[in-house]
Amino acid sequence: MRNRLKKLIFACSILALSVTGASAASYINGIDANYPPFAYVDKSGNAAGFDVDAMNWIAKAMGFTISHKPMDWNGIIPDLLAKKIDMVCSGMSISPERAARVTFSEPYFTIRKVLVVSEKSALTPDDILKGKKRLGVQRGTNEAEWLAQHRDENGWNYTLGYYDSAPMAVEDLLNGRIDAAGMDSAPAEDIMNRAKKPIKIIGEFAPADDFGVAMRNEDTELHAIINEGFKKLKADPYWEELQKKYLSDGK
Amino acid sequence: MVDSLSNVIEALPNILAGGLVTVGIVLCSLSLGFVLGVPLAVGQVYGSKPARGAVGVFVWFFRGTPILVLLFLFYYGFPVALGLDISAFTASCLVLGFASAAYQSQIFRGSIQSLPQGQLKAARALGMTDGQSILHIILPQALRLSIPGWTNEFSILLKDSALVFALGGAQDVMARSHFAASRTHDPIAFYLTAGVLYYAITLVGLRALRQLEKKVYIPGYAAGGGV
Repeated sequence: MRNRLKKLIFACSILALSVTGASAASYINGIDANYPPFAYVDKSGNAAGFDVDAMNWIAKAMGFTISHKPMDWNGIIPDLLAKKIDMVCSGMSISPERAARVTFSEPYFTIRKVLVVSEKSALTPDDILKGKKRLGVQRGTNEAEWLAQHRDENGWNYTLGYYDSAPMAVEDLLNGRIDAAGMDSAPAEDIMNRAKKPIKIIGEFAPADDFGVAMRNEDTELHAIINEGFKKLKADPYWEELQKKYLSDGK
Repeated sequence: MVDSLSNVIEALPNILAGGLVTVGIVLCSLSLGFVLGVPLAVGQVYGSKPARGAVGVFVWFFRGTPILVLLFLFYYGFPVALGLDISAFTASCLVLGFASAAYQSQIFRGSIQSLPQGQLKAARALGMTDGQSILHIILPQALRLSIPGWTNEFSILLKDSALVFALGGAQDVMARSHFAASRTHDPIAFYLTAGVLYYAITLVGLRALRQLEKKVYIPGYAAGGGV
């Protein structure tokens, strides 16, 4: 009996140790795996991309372990609040609506919002916004919100089609079901330059956005770690290297 | 075309690993559906009025609600409201299992009701209790009669399981194919691959179930309409 009790105490203490040890220095980053080049799943099924590599570097520099979990973009903030993940470092634009629910790190990247059309198209941004065109956009993004809001405010008249991911919108653009797609510049360049799809960027449509890492409001310790981590990363040559590796325009 | 092929070949081990997840979901939910479906069917045929009512409500709810709605409810809805943390895999198995239980109970109910009524009376006349008669006389026949209809449930579940890709964190064939399509911007190649893989799993599964049907067949007792 005593022996058994001893074993039990031993097992419990091991468990307690491993639990506290893990929670002190292990975080889960939720990603939108349909968002190359910032976050995607590589050919062997591992998370990859600019943001994933950046966070891996920061984890190493700041001494915590990180794992990346592909999630549905639509539900990613509820997932963060429900503690299924601890942060979102996956090209998330800082917006007032989001900032009301979560805390963002310092901005770490600026992204332009561009209009994309088929290579053969002669449409101008003006045609698209005011010419009763069909415009595709990813659901649950800043650009989707902006396009819906400003259409009514400015008296523009495009119809919006909402997609699961930016690549899906581009597929539909190539299929001719929409006339243009509104998306972030880097994914558009990725589709154009790496995947060699016959599309072109014809201009910007909304103010540029800043990416930040989204975290729960109460995790103040993590906020400090991530901000410090990005400061270190940006001072390191690896930051340049990352941009060369993932972004076709290097900016 | 050549690019597509090499894209698919590169990603194939990963997508095949998703096949294991898909098969896991199907086996878990098929088993859950069976374990729940048999008592539900027995309850619906032989149960008291409240029991029949309860089974009726369960069946009505899970047959009447789209799988996708159930998945979202069980993954985003209930767990968040209750403060539980359930994985995409668990949520998928529960939803598909409950939905399948509703359908399977109706398959079993049909076979139970197709048996001659006199059998239960005869079993009782021999001194068996109700439970014994159902367990030893009714179910062994009814379950055998159910197999052909039941195999359908396997292929339906397999195909319904593709819906779980909509839950973040799902790792099944469809989710992995979808991610690969996003990375390579090559949807045709990867959705075709997913389709072929589902087809292969269906084929193997149905063959296995056919073997089961042959194995439990009672000579002289025609499956599907014996006396």
